Amino acid sequence: MNVTNPLEQLLAERNDLWRGRRRRPGNALATGRAALDRRLPDGGWPRGKLVELLPERFGAGELDLLLPCLAELTRRERPVLFIAPPMVPCPQSLARAGLDLTRLLIVREQKHAFWAAEQCLKSGLCGAVAVWPNGSNSSMVSDRAVRRLQLAAENGDAPVFLCYAPGSSPPASLASLRLAIRCGGHIEILRSRGGETTGTIRLHADNVVPLVSGSARA
Amino acid sequence: MPAGALWTGIVCPQGALQAALRLLPAMAPATPLALHDTVSGRARVIEINRAARGLGVHPGQALADALAIAPDLESLPRDRKAEARLLEELALVAYRYSHQVAITGDGVVLETGGSRRLHGDLDAMLDTLADEISAMGLYATLGTAPAPAAACLLAHTGQHVSEMKTLRETLSGWPIHRLALAPAELHKLDGLGLKSVRDVLALPRFERERRLGRALSRYLDQIHGREQTPLVYWQPPEAFCHLLELPVPTIRSEALLFALNRVLEHLHQWLRVRDRALSAIEIELLPEDRAPKIEFSAGLGQPGFQRDRLLEILRLKLESIRLSSAIESLRVRADSTTEQRPPQADLWTGTNVNDAWPALIDRLVARTGEDGLCSIAPCPDHRPEKAWKWTAPGTTGTGADTPPRPNWLLPEPRPCKAGELRLIDGPERIEAGWWDGQDCRRDYWTAHDRHGNRLWVFREYKPRDGWFVHGLFG
Repeated sequence: MNVTNPLEQLLAERNDLWRGRRRRPGNALATGRAALDRRLPDGGWPRGKLVELLPERFGAGELDLLLPCLAELTRRERPVLFIAPPMVPCPQSLARAGLDLTRLLIVREQKHAFWAAEQCLKSGLCGAVAVWPNGSNSSMVSDRAVRRLQLAAENGDAPVFLCYAPGSSPPASLASLRLAIRCGGHIEILRSRGGETTGTIRLHADNVVPLVSGSARA
Repeated sequence: MPAGALWTGIVCPQGALQAALRLLPAMAPATPLALHDTVSGRARVIEINRAARGLGVHPGQALADALAIAPDLESLPRDRKAEARLLEELALVAYRYSHQVAITGDGVVLETGGSRRLHGDLDAMLDTLADEISAMGLYATLGTAPAPAAACLLAHTGQHVSEMKTLRETLSGWPIHRLALAPAELHKLDGLGLKSVRDVLALPRFERERRLGRALSRYLDQIHGREQTPLVYWQPPEAFCHLLELPVPTIRSEALLFALNRVLEHLHQWLRVRDRALSAIEIELLPEDRAPKIEFSAGLGQPGFQRDRLLEILRLKLESIRLSSAIESLRVRADSTTEQRPPQADLWTGTNVNDAWPALIDRLVARTGEDGLCSIAPCPDHRPEKAWKWTAPGTTGTGADTPPRPNWLLPEPRPCKAGELRLIDGPERIEAGWWDGQDCRRDYWTAHDRHGNRLWVFREYKPRDGWFVHGLFG
């Protein structure tokens, strides 16, 4: 589908049209990038769903991708959890992106990462949870753990982001969304439930649209 | 004693057996159980359950005989400390209904005449009291009488009498063995042919005192309300500290948790009576054969008391402890308490989110450890490795304004080869630390490596010379 087609765009804005396999935009959180929002089936990060991120290398841009949405959540006084990040998130950089640091909690323990994520999701109090399983070593994440995480996410309205270690082989996807992040900020939608899975989106690191002006299109 | 005073007695039938089983997880009702004690140098069965009775065991039997009849009989030694603790637990519950509570030999009496208006009527009040006791996992019977000594007796039969006249009529028909008298005294009365209370009262007072002693005569006056019963009123203890000896040393954490659950029940009552909120609980596990004791504490982010929440935290703590030898006893202390403040619910939604959040934090901290959960804060220092610190969850600090920083910092700068880097932005000169002896001089650059990653690198001149990676953008 060509998104620049004006007819497509007009039709896409209507919620009352049934258009074959296309779903109506669901309950989602704006990613902060209009180009990405348009390509995601729900029009943003799906609430209460699992989103898998497969960066090509660690630091390929996964935090840049999440920060606008996380910052917005903390501004709405929703806590955000980083579970077992493999490096230290730089507070100056996070604050610069608009994240309220008092709402950010970090679980440093690697051993209980999935357990902690599940507890946070089940409580229904968190705005979003980001998990880095196994840190930098590339051992396998069990599909059972991923399944549990997804079930826990369905309890609340928080999206859970699972950032696989680069080079690890993720289990068969159960998630509603799986994105690969290439070096240089290219994003490829590998799987999206109810949406199309074609091509890559070229995002530049700095074309972030401020979330305050909701109607802005990149 | 003011007119209209009414006393309620609470007794636990088979109290010694109930006390001994209190810290043991429930057994199948078909298990024959007995409690034995040393009576004049011989172990004798004193209390048994229904299954044991079915096998022909009876109280008073020598333990050896009982075991010969029923080889499957489980027998526990009598634990007088546990019995005293059981009565304390009952007194603690009773204290919420009356300030006049006393522990008598085998039960608890409380004055209920004064507080019956508060609860509607006496029956409603006794019903709630009985429900509360059975919720604690205890089986108890209640009795009411206008005299405290009689209330204890009527509790055994579950009778409720509010008039002095009815009380005297009820008691007069009683056989003497129902009175709380020593076996020697019962024997003496029996020898005189006095079979019932009526027979004893039929003797003239002078004759009664001469032949049976003043103490017995006074006791009869007390149960008939003719004389006041001296009572020592019980007060809830100032501090909560319990040393519990487990009936059977155990290494299983479920069994320990069961015992802890019982203590938490007791603690809950104590906190309610003292109107305190718990902020931390300290627990010591004392293993047998003098192995070093294991200590741990569980703190609550927000003072209060929710048994389920606390129990879950203790479960997580216990799971992280590796027990090497069986635990014989445990000590529970609740020194850290604060004044109770009722939780405030949200006016619009009625839900108490303020309470759920600390509960989540407590749970995460219990499992991941004190340093496992934290927030991160900037620090006012120019050296990037000292410009951040871990802080307590939900707190942050203020740092100086800095030029853009990468999203990720390496825990330690890592040496790298300058030849593989393509510098794109910089330099940012950082020269600081002369005041604490960790003086450094560096030039920070944004660089691309050969894979296209954006790195934050620096050329150090002092103290060592070379190129280092310090962070990752993205």
